[in-house]
Amino acid sequence: MKLLTHNMLTSHVKGVTKGYPLLIKATEVKVNEVEFNPQFVCRMIPKLEWSALVKAADDLGHRQDLPAELEPDYEKNEDLLKKVHRALLEVEVVEGSLQCPESGREFPISKGIPNMLLNEDEV
Amino acid sequence: MEKENVRYYCTAGNGMESFLIDEVKKKLKAEDVCRVPGKVVFSTSESIQRVTELKSAERLFLLLKHDTPLNLCAKPGQASNLLQSRLLGDIDSWTKAAATWSRLQEELVDRVQKVDKRGKERIEKKRKRENEEEEERKRASLDEKDRKRIKSPQDVEETEDNDGGTDPVSFRINCKCTGPLARCLSSQEAGRVIGVGVSRSLGWKSDLKNPQMEINVNLSDDQWILGMQLTRLPLANRSYLINTGVRSTVAWAMASLAHIQPGFCVLDPMCGVGTVLVEAALEHQDACFLGADIDDGQLQKANQNVAHAALGKQIQLFKASCMALPLPSASVDAVICDLPFGRKFGTKQHMTIHLPLIITEMQRVLRPGGFLVLLLTPQLSVHLKKHLSTGTPAQELDTELQCNTLEHQATFRVSLGAIDGLIQKYVREKNGKNST
Repeated sequence: MKLLTHNMLTSHVKGVTKGYPLLIKATEVKVNEVEFNPQFVCRMIPKLEWSALVKAADDLGHRQDLPAELEPDYEKNEDLLKKVHRALLEVEVVEGSLQCPESGREFPISKGIPNMLLNEDEV
Repeated sequence: MEKENVRYYCTAGNGMESFLIDEVKKKLKAEDVCRVPGKVVFSTSESIQRVTELKSAERLFLLLKHDTPLNLCAKPGQASNLLQSRLLGDIDSWTKAAATWSRLQEELVDRVQKVDKRGKERIEKKRKRENEEEEERKRASLDEKDRKRIKSPQDVEETEDNDGGTDPVSFRINCKCTGPLARCLSSQEAGRVIGVGVSRSLGWKSDLKNPQMEINVNLSDDQWILGMQLTRLPLANRSYLINTGVRSTVAWAMASLAHIQPGFCVLDPMCGVGTVLVEAALEHQDACFLGADIDDGQLQKANQNVAHAALGKQIQLFKASCMALPLPSASVDAVICDLPFGRKFGTKQHMTIHLPLIITEMQRVLRPGGFLVLLLTPQLSVHLKKHLSTGTPAQELDTELQCNTLEHQATFRVSLGAIDGLIQKYVREKNGKNST
């Protein structure tokens, strides 16, 4: 699971009103080199929940001094774009889990794929 | 020389012609585009490489002849002679076409070599594609040997004059007669007659087993189309997919309807092996794609496909039910989904029961103004229509979602082999009655 995915996932366990952002508990993390495409990163940034990305990267030890607040002129800052690229697309949680911040429900991540399936009584 | 206009035709699955027409106009700036049932004829000066990258076509041919038919049945005894004189009366067009065909084959070999070089630069990708390239190289070098024997028009004439010297082109005729014509002249018989004519007037050699050139002949009551096949494998065969789900041409067509723009986030909530996602991601390099499925086996295969196509950057997968997606409301720009046809997803009844919930959930995650593209059976579309017109989803849903905000825009009927499917396009209205 890449942090781009994490940035979108929410917990919809019954009764939960804000199951976001999910807490990452990683047991295996790897970093895969991915071809840098500044346009792609620029297009993705406005869609992100910035603080959730920074926290997730920080939790995994890959924050690389990403700023807490996103600067308005980020398109021109290639250094920043490269860091975002790394955090979003290169860092990958292979094994571990995601925890709902409200209910504490854990969603396992196995072979890089998070299992967000709910039991019938949780829907 | 690359700018020369070449007239081609592609075969397409039933219902796919309109997608192919749009594609050749858009990507190849095609001119004189002509629609024939199951085929699209067009001219373009774009390179053969670009032409072979068409996504909605099945097979690619160099057009040899596109003619109005003769009524062969009127004079049964002379059918063969009439056919021969009509199709082979103008030998020049055949030798010219053969020279063009030969040049295009050469350019295709160059492409294979370029792919090879690029592959070496991208080590990761190369390893995965090595096997296919190896195969393609073998095929290409084989073709090269063959090609050397095919001569330009002048040479052919010379060859005829000199009575030999080089090997003639080896060919095979694939002939199909349809309509009333087929009753007085069988496909086999017509193929044989044309084959004999080609051998006699051009000096080419018939070879049914392993010909250099395959000539397709379609004789119907409306038109006669002849063409030389340009690639042995159909364009619809995708080297980048290991596991196949829905037909790749149909998957591509679905994605083409979703109005995907750079920066979009697109969801397939029942992605299966990920065919739709892969086809869409290759076409839209600056968009990101999410795929969900409830089945581990399907997700594993989807993962393989994504890795094989080197699309890990764009496509993200997770396991979830399409009836409870782990995504915020109005968070994706488009939803594309091949609704399971009942075989994989429990029974048909199961699908019908859950359809309202599935549609409601797709609607929830889709942002207002976003497009929903579905592939479904005609029966299921009846249920969907009923559901959307009455607007009565399951009682437990939020009042906000009680109201349907999906507006039907278009339906396309496409063949999926044994059965037909409907591709339906909806847009989520920007100002739904109950929207907040």
